[in-house]
Parts: sequence; structure tokens; C-alpha cells
Amino acid sequence: MSAGYIDELHDAFHSDLVYRSEDIPLDCTPKPKEMEQTLHGVMKLNGLVIRSLEEIAGRGANAVTYRAGKKFGHEVAKYFQKREDVEGALHELSDLLRGQYSFEVWKPEDKETFIIEENGETFIYLVFHDCIVRQTLRRNGLDQGGPLCQTLFGYVVGAIEEITGRKAKLEIVHTGPNACLKKLVLK
Amino acid sequence: MDIRVDKDACVGCGLCVKDCPMHVYELQNKVSVPVRPNNCMGCLSCHEICPAQALEHRGVYPARRHYIDIKVCEMLRKVI
Ligand code: SF4
Ligand code: SF4
Repeated sequence: MSAGYIDELHDAFHSDLVYRSEDIPLDCTPKPKEMEQTLHGVMKLNGLVIRSLEEIAGRGANAVTYRAGKKFGHEVAKYFQKREDVEGALHELSDLLRGQYSFEVWKPEDKETFIIEENGETFIYLVFHDCIVRQTLRRNGLDQGGPLCQTLFGYVVGAIEEITGRKAKLEIVHTGPNACLKKLVLK
Repeated sequence: MDIRVDKDACVGCGLCVKDCPMHVYELQNKVSVPVRPNNCMGCLSCHEICPAQALEHRGVYPARRHYIDIKVCEMLRKVI
């Protein structure tokens, strides 16, 4: 390794900045535009991890990722306000997911209300629009609905359970390139 | 949702009818007709499956896309 190269490296990682422990960075660095490559790297890595997990654990991969997501959902939602009403809980959830996922409550035109009671089940349809998981899967040519989606499922269920104190379940109704329809079943 | 089908382009394959989870389309005289447009939740699976690119949705929310391959797009921009 040449001395020139080492000096170059030292220069690249040296600045005259004075950093104090109370200095809390208020912006991401670098600017989001410059992070595109990083984002792609993270998506590729995630895709590879999921593909390998599926190869090794087979169908068990879904259970692992669902559980991981659920734990994460419980963990994050612990610090959110507890709500008994589902509407309020969904509001809290959308704040929680902001930036990575966006969703809206949805109903088919023949239903009167968003909270639907059918065959002894109470559920709400959620349409997920923006979704970092969908982006990652499509970036890597992987099918939707597999283990990475299960992480999001677990996350939503964990967060809803934590906020409402009620048991919940999330089912995939349809996965599409622009939006996915899910059914949040309340117990 | 305002859904339009280009009648001249539609080949009547019925793939959109089968694929739409909300049963928005019906085949009428070998052309797809959006009979329940208000049931559409904007997944755009029908666009992906239609071999004739005969569909148009107006008023759909376009989800953020991060999965476009930057290098491929840069190359395409040079060519197009
Ligand atoms: S976007 Fe989805 S829900 Fe709407 S018509 Fe197409 S397939 Fe059906
Ligand atoms: S998929 Fe396209 S071509 Fe086939 S019936 Fe539907 S609109 Fe027509």
C-alpha cells in the first residue's frame, strides 16, 4: 500500500469539525439523493438474506420473520398512547409506520361501514400503498407475500395488539405492484 | 376510480377479469368492461397482466418506487 494512498485515506476521513456530545444531528447525511446507492444496497442485502432464509428454513422462514416483526411491533408501540378504539389505534399505527409504509382503511362498495362483521369475524380492510417491503422484493425479483411480507404483518399485528390490548391477525387478500389489500382481523 | 379500456387495443383475453381481486371487470362481447370501478383499490395488477396495455386508471395513488435500477435507467436515458 503506497504512502500516497494512505495519506489520501487520512484526508478523506479528517475534518476540522468540532463535535460536542450535545450536538444532535437534525438531518440525515448525506442528502437523500446521495443515499440512493445505499438504499439499493440495503434492499439487495435484505433480498439476499430473505432468499437464503427461505432456502434453508423453507416454510419455517415465514414463522421466523413473522415472530421477529411481531416482537418489533410490540417493542416500538410500547411507547405509544394506549387506545381502545380501533380507529385511534390505526391512526397511531400510521404515525408509527410513516416514511416506510402508508395505508388507508378501505371497504368494498357494498359494505356500509369500514368495520365489517362477516361469518362471526370482525375485520377491517387495509390498503397498503407505499411499502418498502414491496420495493425490496420487486427490486430483487422475489415474490410478494413471502417471509419479508410476514415481517410487516407481524409488525402491524404486534403494534395493534400493544396499542389496543386486543389480539389481532393480518391476512393477505391480494398483493399488487402498486398496492396490497390486507384484512385486519380483530379478536 | 375512473377506469378506461381501449376497446381497439383489448384482445379479450380476460386476464384482467380473472386477476382483479375486486371483480371490477367483466368480458362483454369479447371486450373487458369495468363494471365495478368503485371497488378498485388501485393495486394495478391488471396493468401488469394486460398483454395489450389497454387499461387506464385515472385518480390512482402511485406508490413510491425505489426499485428502479439506477444504472439501467442511466443507460436507457443515454439511448432514448
Ligand atoms: S387496480 Fe387492482 S383492484 Fe383495480 S381494477 Fe386493477 S386489478 Fe382490480
Ligand atoms: S387483460 Fe387487457 S387485453 Fe385482456 S381482456 Fe383485459 S383489457 Fe382486454
